[in-house]
Amino acid sequence: MAGQLVREWTAIQQFPAATQEKLVDLLGKLKNQDVNTLTILVMGKGGVGKSSTVNSIIGERVVTVSAFQSETPRPVMVSRSRSGFTLNIIDTPGLVEGGYVSDQVLDTIKRFLLNKTIDVLLYVDRLDAYRVDNLDKQIVKAITDSFGRDIWHKAMVVLTHAQLSPPDALSYEEFFSKRSESLLKCVRQGAKISKKDVKNFGIPVALVENSGRCNKNENDEKILPTGTPWIPNLVHIITDVSLNGKASILVDQKLIEGPNANDRGKVFIPLILAFQYFFVIKPIQKWIKDDVARESKPSWD
Amino acid sequence: MSSSAAPAHLLPLTSSTASRRRNSSATASVSRLHSPNSIVQPNLPSVAVSASLQNPKPSKSPPFLLNYLISPKSLGPCAASCILFHLAKPVFSGSGTIFNLGGGGGGGGGGGAGGGGGGGGGSDGGQGGGFWSRIFSPAAIAKDDEPQQEWDTHGLPANIVVQLNKLSGFKKYKVSEILFLDRRRGSTVGTEDSFFEMVSLRPGGIYNKAQLQKELETLATCGMFEKVDLETKTNPDGTISITIPFLESTWQSADRFRCINVGLMPQSKPIEMDPDMTEKERLEYYRSQEKDYRRRIERSRPCLLPIAVQREILQMLRQQGKVSARLLQRIRDRVQQWYHENGYACAQVVNFGNLNTKEVVCEVVEGDITQLVIQFQDKLGNTCEGNTQFPVIKRELPKQLRQGQVFNIEAGKQALRNINSLALFSNIEVNPRPDEKNEGGIIVEVKLKELEQKSAEVSTEWSIVPGRGGRPTLASIQPGGTVSFEHRNIKGLNRSLLGSVTTSNFLNPQDDLAFKLEYVHPYLDGVYNPRNRTFRASCFNSRKLSPVFTGGPGIEEVPPIWVDRAGVKANITENFTRQSKFTYGLVMEEITTRDESSHIAANGQRVLPSGGVSADGPPTTLSGTGVDRMAFLQANITRDNTKFLNGAIVGERNVFQLDQGLGIGSKFPFFNRHQLTVTRFLQLKQVEEGAGKPPPPVLVLHGHYGGCVGDLPSYDAFTLGGPYSVRGYNMGELGAARNILELAAELRIPIRNTHVYVFAEHGNDLGSSKDVKGNPTEVYRRVGHGSSYGVGAKLGLVRAEYAVDQNSGTGAVFFRFGERF
Repeated sequence: MAGQLVREWTAIQQFPAATQEKLVDLLGKLKNQDVNTLTILVMGKGGVGKSSTVNSIIGERVVTVSAFQSETPRPVMVSRSRSGFTLNIIDTPGLVEGGYVSDQVLDTIKRFLLNKTIDVLLYVDRLDAYRVDNLDKQIVKAITDSFGRDIWHKAMVVLTHAQLSPPDALSYEEFFSKRSESLLKCVRQGAKISKKDVKNFGIPVALVENSGRCNKNENDEKILPTGTPWIPNLVHIITDVSLNGKASILVDQKLIEGPNANDRGKVFIPLILAFQYFFVIKPIQKWIKDDVARESKPSWD
Repeated sequence: MSSSAAPAHLLPLTSSTASRRRNSSATASVSRLHSPNSIVQPNLPSVAVSASLQNPKPSKSPPFLLNYLISPKSLGPCAASCILFHLAKPVFSGSGTIFNLGGGGGGGGGGGAGGGGGGGGGSDGGQGGGFWSRIFSPAAIAKDDEPQQEWDTHGLPANIVVQLNKLSGFKKYKVSEILFLDRRRGSTVGTEDSFFEMVSLRPGGIYNKAQLQKELETLATCGMFEKVDLETKTNPDGTISITIPFLESTWQSADRFRCINVGLMPQSKPIEMDPDMTEKERLEYYRSQEKDYRRRIERSRPCLLPIAVQREILQMLRQQGKVSARLLQRIRDRVQQWYHENGYACAQVVNFGNLNTKEVVCEVVEGDITQLVIQFQDKLGNTCEGNTQFPVIKRELPKQLRQGQVFNIEAGKQALRNINSLALFSNIEVNPRPDEKNEGGIIVEVKLKELEQKSAEVSTEWSIVPGRGGRPTLASIQPGGTVSFEHRNIKGLNRSLLGSVTTSNFLNPQDDLAFKLEYVHPYLDGVYNPRNRTFRASCFNSRKLSPVFTGGPGIEEVPPIWVDRAGVKANITENFTRQSKFTYGLVMEEITTRDESSHIAANGQRVLPSGGVSADGPPTTLSGTGVDRMAFLQANITRDNTKFLNGAIVGERNVFQLDQGLGIGSKFPFFNRHQLTVTRFLQLKQVEEGAGKPPPPVLVLHGHYGGCVGDLPSYDAFTLGGPYSVRGYNMGELGAARNILELAAELRIPIRNTHVYVFAEHGNDLGSSKDVKGNPTEVYRRVGHGSSYGVGAKLGLVRAEYAVDQNSGTGAVFFRFGERF
């Protein structure tokens, strides 16, 4: 993080007073736990509203957003500090390219994250998508393969476009629970979290509505259709996740490259060689000898 | 006498006209009395030199053939005609050279003309047959004669019996009929009777009085008859009929049979019995004869004839009761048949002794090898000094061809094949030849024509590249080709040095220069040591397309990666059998990976969805620079006991290959890369072995495991898919992994002279694709495992097969060369 400009988090003042109050409260809670830095990694498909969410949390337009095309060619880290506390949010480009998880994008993200510690992973998807498909699983798998399964200890699912009217015959709550459940199931499958482990991986879900037309309550806070102001709620869950007692993920060379298969078992090579000599080559030699002895000699020999 | 006895041990033809003809000219000298119990020598194919004068048809045979027939060595080629075979071998010049294994006479030098005849027979066996049949077939002779009307009518009243000595000595009589009249039974014997083999006279033949007299003399002295005569009867049409009344010789019945090898024993010569001997002297004489004979039996060696055949003959003796000449003939035929069926081409029954006792002694000359001669010939066929050392050749000769053994034609063929596999000679002959100094002995002659020791070759090709506007210009003509040299058989010990350089453009050879320099040093443990180890050292380079950088199904073209290897290799190969061997050695090589445009590529390329190409794919080398250097030990042990059973392969083959990195080279590569291949060819039905018999259906089971522990550069990763991995997929289409397992089963069903087959195969990366650096399997969107099944037919060298790949469920027809297993 050295060299990167850490600006004062001034935009916090643009939030409604009620929100500000809650945020300061949460930050204080973090400081009490001796947490001075919080690094949030935002990942997900393209066009689900990752960058908008980042902008919403910071409270200013730090990352360019466009409705129709990917505006985030490479990961961007936004850092804001307030009274000794630093908040880092890493926005990443969409992981999907041409119907596949893009290894290249994943690669740039990994390289960008080198030597950084991730405290919270925001896995972003839309609430108003009805179906979960194989691609979602692939994305989760790609994230798992890149950063290890443990990253899901520090993860939460963020569902954007929360302000919607659910399809017929479903209440909003019902829809939300169905949608989040199916997505969580997909995450569990992709991350290979077994049913036993589900309790261990309590992945919380938060709703987000980045749109400017978002309903507001009497305190001018942006609220969800349920009436909850979502920014304090989101930050609250983030702090919860960061303080859930599990270790943060340090992205180092080893984690990125995975275990070096070339080094695995190297020390056993002399043993393997000895085994091969005595239990493969020798028996084959014996078989050959038997063959020679058994060879049907012509009658004249 | 001795001159006539020597050929007695020559290769005989048991049946047919050849022996008849020979017999016709046999002289009185063939009958030898070894004991007072008279000994018969039935139908001994023996030829005396003097016989040339008595040849029944001297004027009709072409002069060289005549010579060929009557020479003492002439019997060899007769046998040679049945043991002759060719072995074509492509030699350096590209033209086929013929090796032949001639018989005794062909090379034995029965006069220049005889040799010529042998050569003629050797070069074209088929024609040779015709040639023989023309000589021996009386019909053919008669046909030759008829147009000329060369016979004279008898000029006597018809239907009168004329004594032989009453015939005119100046007339040529045409014989219309020959009858054998058994006086004891008072009936004539059929033409299929073995007695007809005894006479050279044939119905329709033309003979003069002297010939008929000679014939009678032959019959009288052959020992088969107690009494024999020859009567002629005039026919109305001017021809004569011959009746041969005879009394067959018979002896006491016998209930024991003994077969002895009398080869290399001096033929005992009968002492002429003085007709004026007194009774006492005669008894004395008989007794001494008997004693001599007993001693002879004692000194003789046991023969090879198996008990089973001996018992069979004993059965014949018992059934017959009295021992008759014809029975002895049958015994002789049976004994000789066994010998010849088992390859003892020089074996011959020469005598029956001890008759009129309870035992029949069959004397056999088996054809003991008295000497083995290795000769070199120059291009003109003259004997010359060879460069090859004798032990090199001697170690290729089977034991059966050594001095003191009995000559066997199969051993001769084996010797021929073994020597041929040395690839040092343009012509090889293995000839058995009678030993003149040692009666009954065989000298085996190995005649070799050496190939040129040094050779160099330059072949060029000009490739004209279309220039601007499609027209070839002067600058676009490239001289390309191969320069090679070979120095074979250095020091006469079959060591060789060979090198070659190939390029498509000698003016700019760095592009695609391929070179090879190899030194081969056989008999590492000494040429006398039976251990067969060969040392090889070579410099090499090679360029191959890497199957690791191949796309899976549905992915567009993956930019190819070429893997260039150049280095030195030294190894020792120990041959246990023709197919099983153990090779171990050291390899030092430099591996360079290049892209399409021959630039060094450190990473594989991948096509982006946008259509662009990025060069950040999996690393191609261990060092990450595109150039690796490494030294490793390589061992390969192959156990192969497969054999052809009527054209189908049966048996099993196991191959274990090991590359052990030594930590020497770029990034200190230390690895253990191993592969085990197990293939079983299971015969599903017992079939009789033999030419023309149908091959059995065969089930082939195949398993291949490959694995690597330690540093694994992508070019050494195991790839799945391809005609030798999992059929129905392209090379590497299924993935590239650290550990792989391939399983295959194929059922081959013979149809006519080929076979059809069904197969199922599976290849699996065992989840180890991710353990290859950069995971090329996933980068190029491959599955990592796959199965296929299909059917196919073998069409000559080509396999045509329809294979269904189960990953996509689609099938395709493939044509492949060579075998999968």
